[in-house]
Amino acid sequence: MQLDGSFVVCAPRLRVWEAIRDPALMAACVPGCQSAERITDTAYRAVVTVKFGPISATFNVVLDIENEVPPDSLTARAKGEEGSRASTVSALSTLTLSDDPAGTRVDWSTDVAIAGRLGKYGLGLMRKKIESLSAEFTAAFAARLAQTNQGAA
Amino acid sequence: MARKEVLSLQINGTEREVFAPGDATLLTVLRDDLSLTAAKRGCNQGVCGACTVMVDDAPVRACLTLAGACAGRAVTTLEGLGSDPVMQALQEAMIVSGAVQCGFCTSGMLVTARDLLAQTPLPDDATIRAALSGNLCRCTGYTRIVEAVHSAAQALREVTP
Amino acid sequence: MSYVLNPATVEQAVQMLASHPGARPLSGGASLVAMKNARLIEPDCLVNLAGIAALRGIARQADGSLRIGGLSRHRDLAECALLAGDQAMIRQAAGVIANRVVRNMGTIGGAVGNADPAADYLPVLACAEARVELAGPGGTRHLTMPDYLLGWYETALQPGEFVAAVILPPAGPGPSVYRKLARTPGDYATVSVACARVGEGVRVAVGACGPAPLRSPVAEGALAGRLSDPAAVAAFGAALVDLSDPVDDVRGSADYRRRLIPRMVAAAIRDVTEG
Repeated sequence: MQLDGSFVVCAPRLRVWEAIRDPALMAACVPGCQSAERITDTAYRAVVTVKFGPISATFNVVLDIENEVPPDSLTARAKGEEGSRASTVSALSTLTLSDDPAGTRVDWSTDVAIAGRLGKYGLGLMRKKIESLSAEFTAAFAARLAQTNQGAA
Repeated sequence: MARKEVLSLQINGTEREVFAPGDATLLTVLRDDLSLTAAKRGCNQGVCGACTVMVDDAPVRACLTLAGACAGRAVTTLEGLGSDPVMQALQEAMIVSGAVQCGFCTSGMLVTARDLLAQTPLPDDATIRAALSGNLCRCTGYTRIVEAVHSAAQALREVTP
Repeated sequence: MSYVLNPATVEQAVQMLASHPGARPLSGGASLVAMKNARLIEPDCLVNLAGIAALRGIARQADGSLRIGGLSRHRDLAECALLAGDQAMIRQAAGVIANRVVRNMGTIGGAVGNADPAADYLPVLACAEARVELAGPGGTRHLTMPDYLLGWYETALQPGEFVAAVILPPAGPGPSVYRKLARTPGDYATVSVACARVGEGVRVAVGACGPAPLRSPVAEGALAGRLSDPAAVAAFGAALVDLSDPVDDVRGSADYRRRLIPRMVAAAIRDVTEG
């Protein structure tokens, strides 16, 4: 499943790059993220719960930053599995930063694959859910950066 | 899977007790605990109809019925309908029409068709197809099954004026 | 403790759900057991509502409203003569859910509680301006369909609450119609349209094209008195397309659904004007 989007953050590019590479900040913006820890400078572990109507799934996620070109772009691969491997999610994402009159523009694209109990029924609603989670993340991320911006100023 | 419990059910006129997981479906209990294997597990989602049985007076999906929710209800499977004249007419007709290939859908078809004929003794084609629309068959293309229901209906009419 | 608990009253059911946070209410089981079989949900126990008499029956109330108990099966609604005039569409919708056998099992309380965006009841109940009665630890409350359906597979049901009944206002003369386009009879709708004639206008709700049925009272107002005007009907259809947010799935692409909406809406309006 391919998704992409774009949003503008009212903060300078370096600040946005720092935020993206700040695991605590990113984890706080991911809806349903219960915990996050650093394994190495480019690898992180997190536990994320997703609720979808009556369906609830908690994923153990490992995120690897595969390639980064600060402060322009990065590619990250996330692999999540539910306990007892009931379903697995894998996502390859690319983030690109560019300057914008209002601050910094973030272009993102991700390719998500879901297998197992959640993927088996080809739930078309999955995309809608992922889109809404992305929107939540974007709003939280932008809000955080606006906060720290104000704090700095 | 939930803990095992004693589940009491009335199956084909007899009170039965099984020791099975509390969340077992009626289909699982029928097949695994009671060896009543006419009802088949096709999709386990209620779509294919191979698991159709009677509960009280209505055909239902055994795969969507919880054994633990059957207290006080009468379950009748194909095995319990052997001496029902409508069922006998249908079984005979299915054989004569060549409406059975692999046989997987047959039990569900028979239970559903018997209920149809009990309510509508002389259904037309469209009525038969609508009534059986919840029973999927991968082998026959349905034509002979519909023919069988027609000829069973005719045969019963000749017997009961 | 048994896996399936069997309360005799609404109060007992509410109490059981409150005492067991991992429990779910079980109505007909047509959706819940299917999801459980697919491991999409894994309840700790089930509170079986089937034995609760107060949840059964379809009855006219003193104020003229029609109370449909949550345990009413699709089969019962499909045969209910009380659903007539501008509520006949509800009877039609009940009659095209899945197939005869599943209609012997599934209930309106379960279907509305599950609130699958493609479910047949949602657009007809939205069009009929029904209210949903919820029972829970805070007592009983009533919500309109727009207040009840909050998002994709998301309802206003709080933990421990379930749908006890659906309440319909007194019926009007109608007529009304439910049109459903699906890949095959018995499937969920790709697009569905509920339409009720009200005087010189209509109420229309489009199902399976967004998180909740699409309705535009403003557009309905603009269409009133112009039901035979193809341009006005086309504009009305376009207004509903603008409100839509269809999924791309095995039943059809979002684009296909958007193309279907104005055609099916126009056909439904013809049904209640010429029909």
